[in-house]
Amino acid sequence: MLELHGLSRSYGEHRAVDEVSFTVPDGRMVGFVGGNGAGKTTTMRMIMGVLAPTAGEVRWDGEPVTRADRVRFGYMPEERGLYPKQPVLAQLTYLGQLHGMPQASARERSEELLTRFGLGERLTSKVETLSLGNQQRAQIIASVLGDPKMLVLDEPFSGLDPAAVDQMSALLREHTANGTPVLFSSHQLDLVDRLCDSIVVLHAGRVVAQGTSEDLRASAPLRYRLVTTGDTGWVRGAAGVQVIDLDGPSALVQPEDEESAQRLLVDAVARGGVREFSRIRPTLSEIYREVAA
Amino acid sequence: MSTLAPWTLVAAREIQVKLTDKNFLVGTALTLVLLLGAMFLPALIGGGAPSYDVAVTDESATGVVDQAQESLQAADEESAITAVDVTDRAAAETAVLDGDVDAALVGGPGAWELLHDGGAPTGLDGALSEAVSASAMAANAEAAGTTVADLTAGSDLAQVDLAADGGAMTGPLAFVLGFAFAMLFYFAALMFGMQIANSVVEEKQSRIIEILAAKIPTRQLLMGKVLGNTVLAFGQLALIAAVSLVGLTVVDLDVALPGLTQAILWYLPFFLVGFLALACVWAAAGALASRTEDLQQTTMPLTMVLVVLFVIGLYLEGAWQQVFSFVPVASTFVMPVRIIEGDTAIWEPVLALALALAFCALTITLGSRLYERALLHTSGSLSWRRAMSLSKD
Repeated sequence: MLELHGLSRSYGEHRAVDEVSFTVPDGRMVGFVGGNGAGKTTTMRMIMGVLAPTAGEVRWDGEPVTRADRVRFGYMPEERGLYPKQPVLAQLTYLGQLHGMPQASARERSEELLTRFGLGERLTSKVETLSLGNQQRAQIIASVLGDPKMLVLDEPFSGLDPAAVDQMSALLREHTANGTPVLFSSHQLDLVDRLCDSIVVLHAGRVVAQGTSEDLRASAPLRYRLVTTGDTGWVRGAAGVQVIDLDGPSALVQPEDEESAQRLLVDAVARGGVREFSRIRPTLSEIYREVAA
Repeated sequence: MSTLAPWTLVAAREIQVKLTDKNFLVGTALTLVLLLGAMFLPALIGGGAPSYDVAVTDESATGVVDQAQESLQAADEESAITAVDVTDRAAAETAVLDGDVDAALVGGPGAWELLHDGGAPTGLDGALSEAVSASAMAANAEAAGTTVADLTAGSDLAQVDLAADGGAMTGPLAFVLGFAFAMLFYFAALMFGMQIANSVVEEKQSRIIEILAAKIPTRQLLMGKVLGNTVLAFGQLALIAAVSLVGLTVVDLDVALPGLTQAILWYLPFFLVGFLALACVWAAAGALASRTEDLQQTTMPLTMVLVVLFVIGLYLEGAWQQVFSFVPVASTFVMPVRIIEGDTAIWEPVLALALALAFCALTITLGSRLYERALLHTSGSLSWRRAMSLSKD
């Protein structure tokens, strides 16, 4: 289990990461969401020890994280990094060895994963000759070599086609199934929604929301859509109801509570026919826009 | 689990990548070919040891030719003068003009003539003249009732070499050797130094440095890089030295070998220490850049220093030469030249090496500190001054 406690990082006056605290439990996949410059990459670099925090700490299984722990963390940095001029298999073998694997098993495991992701024919190709999507696959493979205890992946899916996303998320699922915690950042909110057990939303260096997507949805304001047979202008006068949007027979409203919502429905039925009265389930992007506003 | 230290993996990768780099292999092969060419070409053009045919008409001429043959072989045992018997002077003239022989020796004691077609070869001319004059002198001495030995007694000039180690070389050979040493170090320091800087910036530019820095301490990374390239530089140097020594033996220049071997044995540690002293600074220069394009700028001070030291090493003389032969890194250029010229006491290179080693420790400390500070600084290139003031994080 990985825990962040009040992790902060300042560059001069600027606080890039401000008292960030969250947990990545064993066997869980946590999505790390936030706009450009929100501080995701800085936070991940601090988790990996590539950057020193100005305050706060990272804990692994209840103890302050050590270099020995971090050697067993799989990491995929934001900006893609593999040696452009070295053949892909040789390179992954080398990274596996740095991870503490004996050469033979590093080579074997790399070859197995490369073959599994359709790079079996390109083992001796230089990385720079691979397509961006294939480089990305190699990069993800590099991060899972050596049976990592934890995975920290910065934008692992950017630039991958849907089939590749499925392949890669299946690979990550294998690791969470073994109890490995996975933290990955992404701009693709629908993907995060689909894959992650829970979500941490970062905005301007601070955690503005966290929890499962159900938790986040539950915390979002209650909204209903009302469609009647006549004009809905009268809704503006209804008690305990805030109008978000009004368009002829259709209205988007935010009642103070469930009771006000029911009263609104009764009113509407009394004034004529009701075509639709439905609870709006906000999408993750809507919640994100809300909290990051 | 593997028990290999991370730096050995890093060093092994540096070496392996370089050994599979076509440019590097072709470059090294080309250097060796040029080296061999430079050594063998003069011998090939010269056609090896000289050998002459001389036409003779009688036994007295054959005697002179045999005597010339002896004195020539004393200088170079593979050269030969062969007497070719012909019937008379006319036949001898024909043989010379037809090119069947190099010259013809006719006449007789007291009236020797050397017939040739537009000039006799110098070696042949000299050997025969000597033989003719020796036999004439012997005949004259006998006629005067004395011997050649009595006539020439006390006419030898004895040679005494006062050089300290006896292996000293002077003149063109010493200069060529000093130049070769300076050149080799200059190119190796520049080429492998650039290679170190390049491989550092490659890791920065491709951002693989983040993966590496998360896996192994950056000091191990630096150590592996520096040692890997040192092994490569030293290996290439050893190859060049070995080929040179073997080549010199084959082309009979091995008269210079005793002094040469001593000079090379001293040169190797100077090369190694000089190389190591700069290696970490090259790594720092690489870390200061964030793209390959910036390297030109960040490595400039180092390239300048090397050029200046190269020139100093070749042209300094007298007291300045002595002073610079103790200055670290400069000593790699200057001290071997002094050793070749044979004007050093044993403590001098030892002291120079000790000073260079101390300096080496200093540059390794400073260089690795700069390297670690600048390594994860990925936006734009840093100045040397700015990097010094970066906080470590």
